Amino acid sequence: MAIGESVPMLDSVARVTGAVEYLVNLRLPNMLAGKIVRSAVPHAQLLKVEVSRAEKAPGVVAILTGADLGPKGSYGVAIRDQGVVARDRVRFIGEPVAAIAAESLDAAEEAAALIETEYQELPAVFDALAALQSDAPVLHEAFPNNIFKHAKLRHGDVEAGFAEAGEIFEDTFTSPPAQQASLEPHVAAAQWEGDRLTVWSAAQAPFMVRRVLAELFEIAPEAVRVIVPPLGGGYGGKGHVRLEPLVAALARQTGGRPVKVVLARAEEFVTVTKHAATITLKTGVRRDGTLTARQITIYWNGGAYADASPLLVPAGMVRSVGPYRIPAVRADSYGVYTNLPPAGAYRGAMSSQTTWAYESQMDIIARKMGWDPLEFRMRNLLRSGETFATGEVLHDVHFVECLEAAVRDLTLHPRPLPPLPTESVGREGRGVRGRGFAVMMKSTTGTSKSQARLKLSSDGTVSLFTSTVEMGQGAHTALAQIAADALSVPLWVIRVVGPDTALTPFDSTTSASRSTSMMGSAVTAAARELKQKLITLAGPILEAGPEALRAESGQIRAAGEAIAYTDVLRRHNLDALEATGEYATALSLDPETGQGISTPHWHQGAGAAEVEVDTETGKVTVLRYSAASFAGRVVNPRLARLQNDGNVIYGLGPTLLEEIIFDGGQVTNPNLSDYMIPSFRDAPLELSSVLLESEGGHGAIHGIGEMTLPPVAPAIANAIEDAVGVRIKGLPITAEKVLRALREKAG
Amino acid sequence: MTTLKVNGATYEVEAGVRTLLSVLRDELGLAGAKEGCGIGMCGACTVLVDGQAISSCLMLAAQASRREITTVEGLARDGNLHPAQQAFIQEAAFQCAYCTPGFVLSTVALLNENPSPSADEIRDYLAGNLCRCGSYQNILRAVSTLSRAAS
Repeated sequence: MAIGESVPMLDSVARVTGAVEYLVNLRLPNMLAGKIVRSAVPHAQLLKVEVSRAEKAPGVVAILTGADLGPKGSYGVAIRDQGVVARDRVRFIGEPVAAIAAESLDAAEEAAALIETEYQELPAVFDALAALQSDAPVLHEAFPNNIFKHAKLRHGDVEAGFAEAGEIFEDTFTSPPAQQASLEPHVAAAQWEGDRLTVWSAAQAPFMVRRVLAELFEIAPEAVRVIVPPLGGGYGGKGHVRLEPLVAALARQTGGRPVKVVLARAEEFVTVTKHAATITLKTGVRRDGTLTARQITIYWNGGAYADASPLLVPAGMVRSVGPYRIPAVRADSYGVYTNLPPAGAYRGAMSSQTTWAYESQMDIIARKMGWDPLEFRMRNLLRSGETFATGEVLHDVHFVECLEAAVRDLTLHPRPLPPLPTESVGREGRGVRGRGFAVMMKSTTGTSKSQARLKLSSDGTVSLFTSTVEMGQGAHTALAQIAADALSVPLWVIRVVGPDTALTPFDSTTSASRSTSMMGSAVTAAARELKQKLITLAGPILEAGPEALRAESGQIRAAGEAIAYTDVLRRHNLDALEATGEYATALSLDPETGQGISTPHWHQGAGAAEVEVDTETGKVTVLRYSAASFAGRVVNPRLARLQNDGNVIYGLGPTLLEEIIFDGGQVTNPNLSDYMIPSFRDAPLELSSVLLESEGGHGAIHGIGEMTLPPVAPAIANAIEDAVGVRIKGLPITAEKVLRALREKAG
Repeated sequence: MTTLKVNGATYEVEAGVRTLLSVLRDELGLAGAKEGCGIGMCGACTVLVDGQAISSCLMLAAQASRREITTVEGLARDGNLHPAQQAFIQEAAFQCAYCTPGFVLSTVALLNENPSPSADEIRDYLAGNLCRCGSYQNILRAVSTLSRAAS
């Protein structure tokens, strides 16, 4: 059985020999290099983009400016508010104002320096709360209060809930903008042949790219072909649509020559960010330790363009309540325009910010009330059969088990860790250790569709056509295991093809940890269909009706007789046999009340941390971390544990290190020296993970790509308070913040 | 012209002021080394020059002239993966693998210098290579299996 086996990733050899064909490697005949010219001011009327000198520069083939775009030259996955390049106005530093295609990158860069721009500056606003003031500058006239999305949840009587509470807690938690920082930058290439467009993209949602490009250029979706090679990391930053409209528009002016644009690291920081968030939680508790009501107010800084935020702001609302039994909940989740780069999905999308808030507050409440934080959570955690704040009844939820598993794994550790290895000199008495934990609940995509096609060839190989993007998470390997299992063939006969929208069937997106679950279901359905076709074809050969036949071990079997799949094809003179499967859900919430069904299943994870705080410097070292997630059924244990591990390491970045710092809208740390991401030295000294399955291990497959990330920040903040008694409410938890809090506490 | 000795072969290239990384990728078609940050912070462009791990985005090709350059493409021998590559597969020490050639080459350099590194020495030596997918735990396992200290 291929499911449940820790097989290596299918293309492991390519991965260790540097042979993976990432898009940055793409070379096409006559390919041009593209370079983007960007706005130097945060908010202005764009008076002039003068290209005459640049046009004459050596090697320049085409220049794209706003003048080349028609009145419809704007795009967006939900609100078409973003120009392919700016036309008459710029709204953030780094916004594209022109693009150049040239024979070489050097030539494009030299020509870029010759483009002259002239601006008439406008007042700018960078903070979401400031953008809500009545005198704040307006970014888009269609949204005069700068709010482009307001998602609402209305469940029960919140005022009555507060009235019956013994204590009411109100706390505000902040998260700064951060960068997804995949080591492979954003990259796209495009080529036109007449009215047909081919785009090579490092996008997580190829069919979304296709739709948006078809809308933009007013051509049929089928006239756009999107090919996605393996990604060098995505983490949500390559979700949705980013570079493709600009690269395609630039390629339209080259007389059919392809153009490739690879962003420099600094450009990444003005291309997409994690939403900065300000989250206020007001929570009522009875003295018996039960929760009575919660009021949630969230301001998401969406940046200058809505991008994916109109989809993410409502999801963030659902993800802000927490996995607790709360009879009355009122939530308001606002997406706000500011003059910063657009924000988008960031691994653990929106949950990273919201779990930081609600799991920090659970510890604040427990400490103030004198309760054990674990018991307090256990008392209030939702169980299967109970109703969530959206009104939906929960099935197959294991928050209690996840939290118990993480805490047990941490606390049952057999031995104390020795003093910190490289920094123990002179530390005696300075290092204070503490433990903390957190649990989270995250919805996946409510409305989406995945299709898969399986093709059995007469040589016995099976091609799996899928538009799921392989970005390191091992999705293609897991899907191949599911296909092998469902078809009852060995894993090695499976070849995964795609994504290529000309060859592979529809898929909504590779995000929200949905692929192994939802594309996996489509693959299973396709396998069922293919086996049925084989049985139908085998019937006359084995002289048995379909009810007497079964597909097993690559054969169609009857009582006492069997024929190999490949022989079934041969006997019918077929080169190949194909079948398609689909999985789709159409779930949604009422826009006024947030009531309905938000997700086909819930993401569930927990974490427990042991930290050491250096009381002289404020530095926090994560000694141990245990992560637990509910997987339903584990397809590949080793790769699944690697997802848990990766989530923890990734989550340590925004917890302890990462913040994009803006000064007047200008990123001041757009490089991996000043913006640090976790290295080996930042990883916990001991990291372990637990994967929980449904009883018997035959439950539905749940996504596991993000579940153990959102608990990281609050688990560590809770451990810090456990160690030294200070509470940090703003990420990242830098040594400076901890030291300042320690000094304030000491008076 | 600059003479580059890469993976045992000798090339004459018009390097100018280009980096070693640029010449390897764009002239010689050796695309295993990647640009991640462009400033020597991430290690995705790591190659070996005379056995030492260096950031090829910071070295001019001319500086590497006539020295022994090894890229990830040069590690396999007679169709067999290098033990470091095998260990990375064995321990699932990668996800997107954009950083993996750099990690593998840094591992080779580490073991050249110190055949028996402790876990702490491994963490220290490899701290200049970044893995955004967060595979450090499995990388530590993979390199540990190669350490003579393990056996």
